Amino acid sequence: MLAALIKKELLALARDPQGLAALFVMPVIFIVIMSLALKDYYSPPQRSLRYAVDAHDTGKLAQSLMRSWQQQHGAPDALPADWQQQLREGQLKYVLVLQPGLSDELALPSLPTTARIRLLAEPGLDANLFNSLQAELSGTAGELKARTALASTDAPPPPANASMQSLIQPERFGIHGPRPSAVQQNVPAWLVFGMFFVIASLSGLVVEERHSGALSRLRSLGVPRSVQLASKAIPYLGVNAVQAALMLAVGVWLMPRLGGDALSLAGIHWGALLTTLFAIGLAAVGMALALACAVRTHAQAAAIGPIANVLMAAVGGIMVPKFVMPMSMQRLAEWSPMNWGLEALLDVLLRGGNIASTLPHVLRLGGFAVLMFAIALLLFQRPSR
Amino acid sequence: MLAIAHLGHRYPKAPSAALVDVSLQAGRGKVLGLLGPNGAGKTTLISHLAGLLALQHGEIMIDGEPLSAVRAKTPTRIAVAPQEYAFYPMLSVTENLACFAGAGRLQGAKRQERIAACLAFAQLERFADTRAEQLSGGLKRRLNLAIALLPEPELMLFDEPTVGVDPQSRAFVLDAIKTLATQGAAVIYTSHYMEEIEAIADDVVILDQGRVLRAGSLDDLLAQDAMVMTLAADGIAPEALMQLLSRFGTAQALGDRMRLELNAAPAAVLAALDAAGALVRYAEFGRGNLEQLFMSLTHRSLRD
Repeated sequence: MLAALIKKELLALARDPQGLAALFVMPVIFIVIMSLALKDYYSPPQRSLRYAVDAHDTGKLAQSLMRSWQQQHGAPDALPADWQQQLREGQLKYVLVLQPGLSDELALPSLPTTARIRLLAEPGLDANLFNSLQAELSGTAGELKARTALASTDAPPPPANASMQSLIQPERFGIHGPRPSAVQQNVPAWLVFGMFFVIASLSGLVVEERHSGALSRLRSLGVPRSVQLASKAIPYLGVNAVQAALMLAVGVWLMPRLGGDALSLAGIHWGALLTTLFAIGLAAVGMALALACAVRTHAQAAAIGPIANVLMAAVGGIMVPKFVMPMSMQRLAEWSPMNWGLEALLDVLLRGGNIASTLPHVLRLGGFAVLMFAIALLLFQRPSR
Repeated sequence: MLAIAHLGHRYPKAPSAALVDVSLQAGRGKVLGLLGPNGAGKTTLISHLAGLLALQHGEIMIDGEPLSAVRAKTPTRIAVAPQEYAFYPMLSVTENLACFAGAGRLQGAKRQERIAACLAFAQLERFADTRAEQLSGGLKRRLNLAIALLPEPELMLFDEPTVGVDPQSRAFVLDAIKTLATQGAAVIYTSHYMEEIEAIADDVVILDQGRVLRAGSLDDLLAQDAMVMTLAADGIAPEALMQLLSRFGTAQALGDRMRLELNAAPAAVLAALDAAGALVRYAEFGRGNLEQLFMSLTHRSLRD
């Protein structure tokens, strides 16, 4: 009995091109577009920005400063006559104006009180990038000033590789996790989104069954409600599994071919990944069943499912990463089941998480799934008249 | 086989009961025609038999055993062919049959045998691989019928199974249902088409506003109108015709015809009309028809 009904669900799904596209193609497109669009967010391009130098100080230390800058940022463009216009239009990303007295200031063994370098950025330059350039310029000038001051003392000259940067060892803390990238963030995000999109597919078919009288016919044949619900849940859990495999494959193999970063699964805890994916699948299918049993018309099915999905994604950190949200919105995000799934996946894929560390999120997803299945069973018992 | 006694049902928050003290019986090898205007309670009655509604008042027995017990043991003893196309439009004819055969616990060779038999019975072999959504209205009705027959039910309920089909398909469906009764099944057939009920029913129950208005064998019900004459005549004014007919019984205008409950011989009526110079255009006597009975019982008022 169950096998025949599962086969029916799979055939119905296979013959619904729009449903298939929503389940498999849409999340892939989101992963590709968002990963490529946000590629620079995780590896800022400050070292390759087009810039020029307007040098009103050509002293030895000003030239030395520019040589240090060029080592990190490449050679500047020749300063065009209309550089201000180009800067305004964004053709030049920034211009360094070295004002008279810069070399003298760098030679003084004291902290400066007057600006001698103007960092002029194009109006649309990302604020983080702008701050990063300012900090880097300040660091480079400071180090040059320190070297000059050291040279005037009896202290031995510093080794060739000595630098203020050696003082700091920056690293993202993780056990064995891969480095963060747009792909590493976007694959789990849009995978969760895609898995929850079973809501739209499933509710449409249930409404169709109810309207056609097929559900009543199954009931009159004595098919238990639990079997009817299971016959829908099992194939859609399978759909979730295929989605997960497809999205991970896109991240690992397709994204590098499209010029993006590759998703790295090296060193991750596979048990934690599979447990998390199963919990997300249960939550998604449970919610899909509950909504499918709640809606009564095709119009409701077509509207409520996608709207619920998009709202949960917007709130849950899928569309906008949670870490860029203000604290109040982050607290709100923690109420979204999509966020529980996303955080558990990020824990596995980015932070080297294992089953124990993902357990709080997995338990929430499991509890949510149980609640949704119970609601579905309750609503399914309503007479269809 | 089926015995319903004093069945009553009221939907939550409904202003009146959908069924009140309904009693009827359906036997093996017979077709019971269930007639009633919209809102009469037919669907509620069928929903009870299909196991979709819980019993509130009265009892429903199958061969002396409560319906609920029968449904719990072998739900497939009773089949419902609903008014809607109760199948999956995106599946082919065979896939639909396989799905509902599986749902009806048919397995292995028996399942294949029943699918083939039902395809043949409904003459759907040529369309076995056609998706249900691509079938014509008549073929969809036949698929609905074929699915209902899969588990070889003993009691079958057909809820307006000929709505929206061409005359050939209607004739086919009626013949098929009559055949099922001939083969020993108990059949309950609801329809708005009186001529269909007259054509296939052995017994008739007329329901209105949840109550049984009339129940009995079709012949007995129609014989009740044996002394009714229906006629239409030209060449005589309506008032004069009414006055003339009133001498032979109670006359009543029914559109362009007159209904006369006779207290005299019909030949006398015809002779009087002839003498008055009227030309009899239509005359019917000796057996009432179901439509007249139904309309007189339900008082012709619109229900929707």
